[in-house]
Amino acid sequence: MKVTIRFFARFGELLGNTLNVDAREGMSVADLVKEAASGNKAGYDTIFDENGSFRDFVIVMRNKKRIRSQDAGSILVSEGDEIAVFPPVAGG
Amino acid sequence: MYLALLGVGTLIIADNDRVELTNLNRQILYREQDIGRRKAAVAKEQLQELNPDITVQALDATIDAASVFSMTENADGIVDALDDYQIRYLLNRVALENQIPLFHGGISGFFGQATTILPGKTPCLKCIVPHPPPREVFPVVGVTAGFIGMIQATEVCKYLLCRGDLLAGRLLLWDGMQGRIEEIPVENDPFCEACAGNATRNW
Repeated sequence: MKVTIRFFARFGELLGNTLNVDAREGMSVADLVKEAASGNKAGYDTIFDENGSFRDFVIVMRNKKRIRSQDAGSILVSEGDEIAVFPPVAGG
Repeated sequence: MYLALLGVGTLIIADNDRVELTNLNRQILYREQDIGRRKAAVAKEQLQELNPDITVQALDATIDAASVFSMTENADGIVDALDDYQIRYLLNRVALENQIPLFHGGISGFFGQATTILPGKTPCLKCIVPHPPPREVFPVVGVTAGFIGMIQATEVCKYLLCRGDLLAGRLLLWDGMQGRIEEIPVENDPFCEACAGNATRNW
């Protein structure tokens, strides 16, 4: 199924801003993002911790609705979903 | 600067730093000859020169749990120009307690974000950013700070004039590298440590 992943700010610089990917049936949001980030170690390590969990500051949205990153492993993606992943920025 | 030029009657500026060379790419109130001087005092001088009809108070002080309430006493709103989420969370707390808006902005490199927090009406800052990103030395492109600051000033202007649609419940994301503005809806976090999800219920 076709799914769009959008990485914002620093994540987008490392991994590309918009990826149109083929997701497998039964794939979770977390699995999808991990697979998309797996080709770039710096990008992967910026988003995921050593246990493969989203780092606590990472904001994950599915179809413009925020999902708790700890739930991303159990929420399955559907055809046409847009998954957005971004970091809040802190400078001023 | 734009708030002063707009004629916002009283501006209170809190900063405990001195002007440094590395500030000059974005903090356009300061000049090379100001390096080493107290930022709050120089800002007051410059703003009063731009608009002698407003009142500018310069607080050469650290924003912390002990000082934040007196600094914001009688304020109609708080503009966030910080680079640290722990202090931002303090401003969020005082905004919630005093029921005054917090005009949030943040930047990193060519990227920025902004939203307007209206206690009682919108999610609070801690709902939106429950965990700060890791500390780092932020690369700052001056124009990004200017761009996000302009959005914040626009929000203040609209709020004071009761005009237009505020960035309330919406987080604006600016990607300067792509030249793209997006916004995402933000929601109350029922588990929020600051407002426990009550931000939109106790108005």
